[in-house]
Amino acid sequence: MASPTSETLKIWVFLILPLPVLVVLGYVVPTAGVLGWSFTLPEPGVQNYAAVLEAQRLQTVIWRTLRICLLTTVISVGLAYLIAYRWRFATPRGRQLIELVVLVSFWLSMLIRAFAWLVLLRGDGVINQTLLWLGLIEAPLPLVRNEFGAVLGMVHFMVPFAVLPMLNSFREVDDRVLNAARSLGATPGQVLRDIFFPLTLPGMAAASGIVFIFSLGSFVTPALLGGGRAVMLAEYIYLQMFQLSNWGMGATLAIVLMAMVVVTALIFGRLFGFKNIVGGLK
Amino acid sequence: MKEKQEFLEDALMVAAERMKRGRLSRRGFNAGLAALMGSAVMGAARRAHADTGRVVVVNWGGDAVPGFQKAYAGFGEASGLELLVDGSGPSEGAVKTQVNSGAVRWDVCDGEMYSAYRLGRDELLEALDYDVIDKSLIDFGDVHDHGVANYTYSYVIAFDTEAFGDRRPTSWKDFWDVETFPGKRTLYRWMSANLECALLADGVTPEELYPLDVDRALAKIEELLPHILTHWATGAESQQLLRDGEVAMGQVWNTRAALIKEDTGGRVDWTFDGGIISPSVWMVPKGNPAGAKAAMDFIAYALRPEVQVKLMEAYAMGPVSAAANDLLSPELALANPTSPENFSKQVLLNNKWHADHYGETLERYLALIGA
Repeated sequence: MASPTSETLKIWVFLILPLPVLVVLGYVVPTAGVLGWSFTLPEPGVQNYAAVLEAQRLQTVIWRTLRICLLTTVISVGLAYLIAYRWRFATPRGRQLIELVVLVSFWLSMLIRAFAWLVLLRGDGVINQTLLWLGLIEAPLPLVRNEFGAVLGMVHFMVPFAVLPMLNSFREVDDRVLNAARSLGATPGQVLRDIFFPLTLPGMAAASGIVFIFSLGSFVTPALLGGGRAVMLAEYIYLQMFQLSNWGMGATLAIVLMAMVVVTALIFGRLFGFKNIVGGLK
Repeated sequence: MKEKQEFLEDALMVAAERMKRGRLSRRGFNAGLAALMGSAVMGAARRAHADTGRVVVVNWGGDAVPGFQKAYAGFGEASGLELLVDGSGPSEGAVKTQVNSGAVRWDVCDGEMYSAYRLGRDELLEALDYDVIDKSLIDFGDVHDHGVANYTYSYVIAFDTEAFGDRRPTSWKDFWDVETFPGKRTLYRWMSANLECALLADGVTPEELYPLDVDRALAKIEELLPHILTHWATGAESQQLLRDGEVAMGQVWNTRAALIKEDTGGRVDWTFDGGIISPSVWMVPKGNPAGAKAAMDFIAYALRPEVQVKLMEAYAMGPVSAAANDLLSPELALANPTSPENFSKQVLLNNKWHADHYGETLERYLALIGA
């Protein structure tokens, strides 16, 4: 191949240039602005960050966010593991069906899903009315407008995000390895625990990282299904900015949220390698 | 705006066509593109400072948008300006964002009165011109440098008649009394009048209400918490909760209460007894696109008594002017928060108190209810 002439090089530079410019203008500059607000509003100083460390109500929100995200991650990844496992050993038709179900759920608007859950779960909703009719409960169960509802909605939203990266690592498990183990006398339980599970661990780690990080920024689902009782960081930031017009605190919490995302990404990257996590998305 | 866009698209198509035929060099095409983009940006900048020929009035959306359109339909003829109603909600943060970023889209905001005090203090609002706006028309609600009452609404008790037999709640004491009136409750999420309701329920007299005893009010709210199904955040949500029977009693806006009663054929009823009257406000963001003059003209028009009556007809938003009340039909007078017989049963919200304390108190309130 001939070396690029200076003319073509110029064109390439010209074509690539918009990307860094876009990143700087669209991301770096606004983020720097937000960082600036967190130190200057309502007055210069670190009082906003001090409040994050001291104020009970802020810590409640931060801990609740972490707790809900952890719960969501564990449950979604667990469910996704079962789905991916079923998919791995399904017939081609079965696989297609599973993929279809996962993708349809993936493509549905999150607003529609949240409202659907609200209709199902509320006091006069289908689930409570059925249980009441069957005589299994005396009064409607509080299934929604609380943390339970928020986690449920988030799990539903996150399962596809967990399944998709897992499918790749499940596909790559070699049938011959499993057969070898069986022919050497391993029980089905041993095959699963000692062979299958370790081989699919990277996919699971990737899924956990992705789900946890996505969960941190959840806004619509916990806002609708939590009904004001499961306010997470993103909703609290919105509250600070638009209900209280307290930009300094909103900005500070946005920076805190971003730091949480970065730290989580670094931990997962260090433990499992970024390549595996990103590779899981292929 | 639309015209300009069509013009740009057309120019681009012509240029692209020429380039295809080889009559315009690639460089020429790019230069043309840059020039066009430049003119679009300049156009936007120019728009921001000149008269736009239209006044954008923003309110809180839903049925209030057609309500405003209907009530103020005559403004175009009176002023020669086009009226545009935007329902995206002029929250304090939203107004602040627009003014600080220099991208003001709204001319007149139908805001919260305490927001008008606070935004005015931060110099984010135009001063109102009381040579154009007749302040003598305002009998209910606040008149200050940056805001003038535009209509009134009340936080009232709405209840499911099937839940309590013949008993009808008539006070906030009843609202808190879950023995006599068993069932779930709902309150407004952004607090506005909730502290007042709690204190009245706790035995404070209307005269002693202000300054609010926040600790006492929050303690009283905490008492009711186990019975509060949820705090509604939008008017539509409050309607749904009562219509579907999810709650037995709710603190809702009188405008919505009337709609729920209609929707349920009277199963859900409501009362002005104990209601908290809240005047809303006209305010003008600093640097509004149509210019301050056009905004003042709109406000002056909207405050004409006969126009206030139209708003009451269209959306049950109560007049702020006794002269307008005199023009109401007997039926509308029944639904009007400021009619003498209704007014005497209620308490007027003190927005000055909220202007000074709303932020910190709302944070405490939200922390209490689980935010």
